[in-house]
Amino acid sequence: MIKTLRMTLLGTTSLALLAACGDNTETKSEDSSDKARAFASTYQPQPSETTLITNARIIDGTGQEIDGGSILITDGKITAIGTDVSGDAAITIDAGGKYVTPGIIDIHSHLGDYPTPSVSAHADGNEITSPITSEVYAEHGIWPQDPGFDEALQGGVTTLHVLPGSANLFGGRGVTLRNIPARTVQEMKLPDAPYTLKMACGENPKRVYGNKGGPGSRMGNVAGYRKNWIKAQDYQKKRDKGGDGFKRDLQLETLADVLDGEILVQMHCYRADEMVQILDLAKEFDYKVTTFHHAVEAYKIADYLKDNETCAAMWADWYGFKMESYDGILENIPFVHAEGACAMIHSDDENGIQRLNQEVAKAWAHGNRAGLNISKAEAWQWLSTNPAKALGIIDETGTLEVGKRADVVMWSADPFTTYARPEKVFLDGALMFDTETGLKPKSDFRLGFGE
Amino acid sequence: MTLRKTFTAALLLSAISTTAWAQDYFISDAKLVTNTSQGIVENADLIIRDGKIAQIGTDLTAPANVETISANGSWVTPGLFAPFSRLGLMDIGGEDVTNDTSSGESKTSVSELASDSFNPKAVFVANTRRMGITHAVISPSAAGDSIFGGTGAVINLSGEYDSVEKPSAFIFVQLGENGTRRAGGSRAAALVQLRAALNDAAAYPGRYDGPEDGDALTRQDAAALVKAAKGQMPLMIAADRAMDMLNIIKLKNEYSNLDIIILGAREAWEIADELAAADIKVMVDPHDNLPVSFEAVNARLDNVILLDEAGVDYAISNASALGVQRPATLAQHAGNAVGNGLEWDKAFAAITSTPAKWFGLAGGTVLQGSGATLVVWDGDPLDVTSAPTDMFINGDRQSLESRQTALRDRYNPTSDDTRLFKYR
Repeated sequence: MIKTLRMTLLGTTSLALLAACGDNTETKSEDSSDKARAFASTYQPQPSETTLITNARIIDGTGQEIDGGSILITDGKITAIGTDVSGDAAITIDAGGKYVTPGIIDIHSHLGDYPTPSVSAHADGNEITSPITSEVYAEHGIWPQDPGFDEALQGGVTTLHVLPGSANLFGGRGVTLRNIPARTVQEMKLPDAPYTLKMACGENPKRVYGNKGGPGSRMGNVAGYRKNWIKAQDYQKKRDKGGDGFKRDLQLETLADVLDGEILVQMHCYRADEMVQILDLAKEFDYKVTTFHHAVEAYKIADYLKDNETCAAMWADWYGFKMESYDGILENIPFVHAEGACAMIHSDDENGIQRLNQEVAKAWAHGNRAGLNISKAEAWQWLSTNPAKALGIIDETGTLEVGKRADVVMWSADPFTTYARPEKVFLDGALMFDTETGLKPKSDFRLGFGE
Repeated sequence: MTLRKTFTAALLLSAISTTAWAQDYFISDAKLVTNTSQGIVENADLIIRDGKIAQIGTDLTAPANVETISANGSWVTPGLFAPFSRLGLMDIGGEDVTNDTSSGESKTSVSELASDSFNPKAVFVANTRRMGITHAVISPSAAGDSIFGGTGAVINLSGEYDSVEKPSAFIFVQLGENGTRRAGGSRAAALVQLRAALNDAAAYPGRYDGPEDGDALTRQDAAALVKAAKGQMPLMIAADRAMDMLNIIKLKNEYSNLDIIILGAREAWEIADELAAADIKVMVDPHDNLPVSFEAVNARLDNVILLDEAGVDYAISNASALGVQRPATLAQHAGNAVGNGLEWDKAFAAITSTPAKWFGLAGGTVLQGSGATLVVWDGDPLDVTSAPTDMFINGDRQSLESRQTALRDRYNPTSDDTRLFKYR
């Protein structure tokens, strides 16, 4: 064991040396994959049987609905889908016309880093010690025993992105997790999912640091981003050049990885005007904002979002709790979608994550009431497809297509109603939640309270 | 001069619209939820005259000179009644100057009236009204070193200046972790404060011969607690842990007149039989299933269903999901109780007639002769995809427009308006 560890460390050193000498991108990517290995995923799909789900009303996540459809799952992957599917399966499930969908992906969760019970000892989601903490990783604050993970699975959530909070301009790295009952966060990490960087606009950073040396205004926020991107550009050049003089800096490493396009920026931002300022900031430093989170005013600038290929992750009806959220409307998601921009739901909440299908149903209905004509199959993309795109994992999950992980939910009724519940949830083809047999996970924390 | 004339004319107009010439209405072909033993009546017609439901039938003819609203077979229900909220007590929760929900620096507690802080023009009132809510309880919250938040009220959501229907509706008390902190640090201290206050109220005014003779309350706060101490007004107590609720039952055994509503009650299912036997009312949020604190470790999704089975008198709130600020999602929370196994009629009563009854308001039912507080829906009101298409509060037809719909209309992508947004 010790030997292995040492060898790994040696390996790290030699790779780092290689990176230091080289100047081509291949070496650089080796360098970064090596860094990722420091807290590498040990996720293992659970054993699964070859499973054929028949007679289902399938919403596949690509915008299509297939009536009387079947899905074949082999070795945890989707190997066939459509109306004409056959194959030898160990298990055949007759869906009886029920809805079958991709597993839900929540792009904004604090499960694990703000777990329940929400005692002060559990507040591990915000490193409120400096406005610049791009060196921290959300995964180092995640408690895998958060009972919220289990409840989210029962709501059909198979993948989730956990981020640091929004106190800081640069909050730290977010991580994409499989919602598998696990002992360690490494066992939950989706292998090869890109890291993300949480950034925050607006009221939070200036409120938190206004009396602690700044930023104390939105002006200070933007100045803070710019100063640190300049530092990151400098660091990026030094890192590319390498040599003995190069010293690793965790804070700037994250930012330089963004500039290299290896880390996706996920930015907390409410106000329309502010989001467009941030898009300009990204142009100044030649990086991309993948997603604006919360984006309560995204409907006002959907054209900008479309042109910049930046997604918006939104609530269905949360607004009004602070000034920058005052202009929330119930049609935000459908309006952004109708403009041709990339829209999605997010929860940011341990309750909301259990019912994201209802949140989408609300937004969908309000959008159509306002004159749009969006189908359920199209709206489903707000639940799994667009979050998968925004997390850089669309090749792995988010839709029911051949070759993808078999993350599948079978529903008791139309998921666009209050009354529907997931009946079966498959993660990589393995049944993880099943109302028929009572199969469900239970956190260590839930044990022994004298029920 | 001109200005003055216009002003006088406006005054006259407003007087006319609210009282003198109340419009009569005929609602046809409704799937009518009566909330009475009659249950749901299909193809129902209603005549609204002088603000009241003059007639209900299945084959009525529209009277002359009334406006007809065709429900086309869709749902018509009593207005929803949010049993707990802070509606109209703040504009921006995060901006202290706009937030009147609590008063940590004041020297008073029980005697503070939420109705004095209420602003019917806060945008959340109209934003919430258009989701089918016609009435709401508004409650102050405890602050400083008092477990008493103050005196709560019942309002309607017309947004009119006279929309407080019951300025003194209940007294709010905070127990559990939050109340414990305020009382000095232990549950024992919080219960001592509550008992002492009840004793102060029971001994009022005699005990207050001197300037500060109360054990827990000042003179005016003791006076404000008298009715609740006598059971003439509910005492709403926030608590989640089963043991805390058993202590409340003990309190009720000591002060048998108390009319107690427990708010939160995440572990109530554990002592459901005891709560039923003690005739204590319980207000729960059917979304509360997580052990959010050490006083809710046994929270579970079917809490409300187990309470129902035990015969507990319960109402449904949406306190989670920012519901206290914006109770617009109330129907969704009741709908989820149905999704988890509660009967539809019971869940619906828990957000209409049950809280109306608790706080002493007529309403929550559709009966001949009762005030017309009704919502016409485009679908099942407990389904998230449904919304109101029409609404009446006390016979007055309501606007379903709000600041949110104004923003919606300005930025609607289907609009062919090409003017700059600020001109739309």
